[in-house]
Amino acid sequence: MNNLLQFVIRYSAFLLFLLLEMAALVLVIRYNENQKSIFLNSTSILSGKLYEMTEDAIHYNRLQVTVDSFASETALLKEKIFNLERSLQKVSPAEKPLDSCILESFKVIEARVISNTVNQRNNHFTIDRGKADGVRKGMGVISPHGVAGIIDQSGEKYARAISVLHSAARISASIKRNEYFGSLLWKEINPGYMILEDIPKQADIFEGDSIVTSGYSFIFPKGIFIGTVERFWTEGGSNYYTVEVKLHEDIARLDQVYVIDSIEKDSLPQ
Amino acid sequence: MSSVILRHTIRAIILILIQVLILKRIGLGTSWIALNTDIFIYPLIIFMLPFRAFRHYVILIGFCVGLMIDMFYDTIGVHAFALTATAYARGIMLSYLEPRGGYQLSMNPTIRSLGLNWVLTFTALSMVIHSFLYYTAEIFTFVYIGKILIKTVMTTTLSLAVIMGYHYLFNPRS
Repeated sequence: MNNLLQFVIRYSAFLLFLLLEMAALVLVIRYNENQKSIFLNSTSILSGKLYEMTEDAIHYNRLQVTVDSFASETALLKEKIFNLERSLQKVSPAEKPLDSCILESFKVIEARVISNTVNQRNNHFTIDRGKADGVRKGMGVISPHGVAGIIDQSGEKYARAISVLHSAARISASIKRNEYFGSLLWKEINPGYMILEDIPKQADIFEGDSIVTSGYSFIFPKGIFIGTVERFWTEGGSNYYTVEVKLHEDIARLDQVYVIDSIEKDSLPQ
Repeated sequence: MSSVILRHTIRAIILILIQVLILKRIGLGTSWIALNTDIFIYPLIIFMLPFRAFRHYVILIGFCVGLMIDMFYDTIGVHAFALTATAYARGIMLSYLEPRGGYQLSMNPTIRSLGLNWVLTFTALSMVIHSFLYYTAEIFTFVYIGKILIKTVMTTTLSLAVIMGYHYLFNPRS
């Protein structure tokens, strides 16, 4: 305290000078239009920069919320696309009436993978949606870049799905260019590749052809991109091609997925 | 003592009147010199204060005189800003320009007392500081630093001439 007092006394002239200069500056800015506008302009540049930086930081903190909202939005959009394609297929014969149950035959539920395996013989993954969200056994699960699996067990809040990398998973898939179809299954070679069987020999296949879901199984809508043809061959004497498909989705890195609820499936006679 | 205060007060009033009634009008005009020059005589109020004047009072007087000039110039705060700084700088300059043997009680910042050289140096340095700060506060951005410097040089030269003229004309004793 004593030191502070001595400091104030010693530099009192300087402090008075500073005080009066500050007062003068305040007066200059307060009462002179020109200086005022320059002052406001400069400070607004400074504060603008500062606001921008804090906004960036806050924005970064909110990324998770943003991503979640995007995910649900994507689910809605996917639902609309599937239903639109479905209704387009139905409508083209022109005789059939436009029915609301035709128009809305798919529902898409966004979900997040919370556990996943790829290195076992039969792989499963778990999602954070369950019966409460409308997820039931037998529904298809797609990921942003392909198909992911089929729901196997559904709990109240979580559901387990068999991955496409599972010996029991058989997905009806077709070659996009000419619509020849077969079943896609996994032969435990490599998590990045699957085998498409039962493509008739008359089909013309090229390496790099797109493989999409065929839409014959009601589990997946038609036309979801799965991967591309890596190579193909005929097993001795068979009349069918065996096609090795390079998956577009890296199953090992599944995160955001969408569960597809096909309403039409329920109306099908069992 | 009171006669000293009275003398300085009267001088201050007269100098302020000369500044705002006469010298302010000289600055009006469209010629290059008129546009780039002001003539300031009022800093003389600070320059003429006795050496033994308390530094705080000098700074306060500088602020008040500056504000008074501002009222007439419609530039609230600008002259006050410059003159306060000049008043503070006066104390520093006095210690640098101190003659051998220090200031005597009988000494005054006049030609008669300290000689032309001392008065010229002191006035010129103070006027450079004052003009520079005045135009800095008036233009308020260093984007026009060229303009600030030109105005500073012109104003310092002309004001110096006027202030030295005052010294020679009246040859004040204190």
